[in-house]
Amino acid sequence: MELLREILDPEFLFRNAVDTSVLVGLAAPVVGAFLVLRRMIFLGVALPQISSTGIALALSLHVWYGHYDGGHGAEERVLAFIGSIGFALVAVCVLAFLDRHRRGSPEGRIGTAYVVSIAISILLLAKCPQAERGWLDLFKGQIFAIKTSDLVATAVTMLLVVGALLAFRNPLLLVSFDRDLALVLKRNVLFWDVLLYLLVGLAISVAVISVGPLMTFGFMLVPPLIAHLFAANMRQFILIASAIGGVIALAGFCVAYKYDLPGGPTDVALLGALYALVFTGKKMATMTRRWRMAKDAAETADATAVKGPL
Amino acid sequence: MSGRRNDGVLLELDGVSAGYEGRAIVSNVSLRLRHGVFAGLLGANGSGKTTLLKTIAGILPPVTGRVSFCKSHAHPPLLGYVPQREAFDPIFLFSAREVVAMGRQRRSSRGESARVVENCLQRCGAADFAGRRFSELSGGQKQRVLIARALAAEPDVLLLDEPTAGIDAAASEGIGHLLRELHGQGMTILMVNHELDVVRRLADEVIWLRRGEILHGPAAELLTTERAAELLELRLG
Repeated sequence: MELLREILDPEFLFRNAVDTSVLVGLAAPVVGAFLVLRRMIFLGVALPQISSTGIALALSLHVWYGHYDGGHGAEERVLAFIGSIGFALVAVCVLAFLDRHRRGSPEGRIGTAYVVSIAISILLLAKCPQAERGWLDLFKGQIFAIKTSDLVATAVTMLLVVGALLAFRNPLLLVSFDRDLALVLKRNVLFWDVLLYLLVGLAISVAVISVGPLMTFGFMLVPPLIAHLFAANMRQFILIASAIGGVIALAGFCVAYKYDLPGGPTDVALLGALYALVFTGKKMATMTRRWRMAKDAAETADATAVKGPL
Repeated sequence: MSGRRNDGVLLELDGVSAGYEGRAIVSNVSLRLRHGVFAGLLGANGSGKTTLLKTIAGILPPVTGRVSFCKSHAHPPLLGYVPQREAFDPIFLFSAREVVAMGRQRRSSRGESARVVENCLQRCGAADFAGRRFSELSGGQKQRVLIARALAAEPDVLLLDEPTAGIDAAASEGIGHLLRELHGQGMTILMVNHELDVVRRLADEVIWLRRGEILHGPAAELLTTERAAELLELRLG
């Protein structure tokens, strides 16, 4: 409790990191819910990786052109942001185009983009050790050094993305659930697909800059999967996923701060543990209910046999 | 929807070839459907029935030719489309009521939309399970919900893809009864169906995709015993 009070204190040294974690924790599951529904989870793995390749390229170019100042200056952050958002949006547009024209299998395309982006990142950073340091910090999810400008950029972007997803949830869900009906109703399916991809790309590229690809993907994927286990409807699904993300982000920060651990991996490990717990609990509850029903049925059959037929 | 029945042409296909990515599965279909008719679209497996229905619904662009609706109306008629019910991913947590509400396409107040949705659920006998999750309903219940969704569009024509496939006899009879009722109220219906008995019982007209040619005429005339046997043979073959 004392720890929580210290962390939530407005004067807390890492207050920006707390706010950014919770913000991403609340917003990423909303974005992820749409990816899970469209069964495009792999896109959620690939896009953060592609974004981080954009960052690797931006940081490497910065060093190669002789502007490296030995630290994480504002100029580097802006370049990283441009690299991240540029790569994510280009990847999203290319994948959407290929998806629409049904070129190859979607998993194959996304998988290829993922593995190639990792290879490019490694090749770039092998030739540029100075950039590697900043990129590794991002990759590990070292969120303690987040600046106020990053927090504001993350907040504005997440508000915009989540606001748009919720405001347009009906057409976005319609084109995801029943594309044919959307066409019969003369909805502009291409427009809604592209809008969804752009919102996802925007959210991911900003989240990757703020908290790294690991935490971004973890919060996009795991909270919706947990929420899906016990949500009764779509509204609950999105709200529960977001709430789980927010709570785990805060809890993860507390654990990471107390035991001096990197924030991103701690959050994702906690999410994994919660998923395992909830999944096992639900399975056991289902098995117990079935066992009770079978027992009741057997007892009723026994009672009928003792009384004999009427 | 009553009183709409007349002799005017509602739907016209002019040399339509239907298929995917420019490759025609069914070629050169020309036919006209009148207002208020109940037509069954028959054919062997792979003959292109669903592809043709999707082309009529506007889901697929025609490879060649033209699909046109009701020249006498100022605006094109609204379509109610009932797809095959296997097409839905159970990951979506929509209730039956929410699925029906998706079909609304006319601009109206939230109250008016809710009233129409409830009315469609009632008409289709789906009100009792409207709050249940769509993915957990039985085949017959899902079909009623999908028909209610198509009706929520307040359509001029109802396009159905295999509405009685894979459901038990009682549910199939219930769906047939519902479709007869809608037809009785003046709804124009075009139904793809494998089951000859269902088509013979319900449809006034039959469109038969048969070995590259299109037969279109009254059901009683086209579905003679010999032709039915031929169709059955093709389907089983």
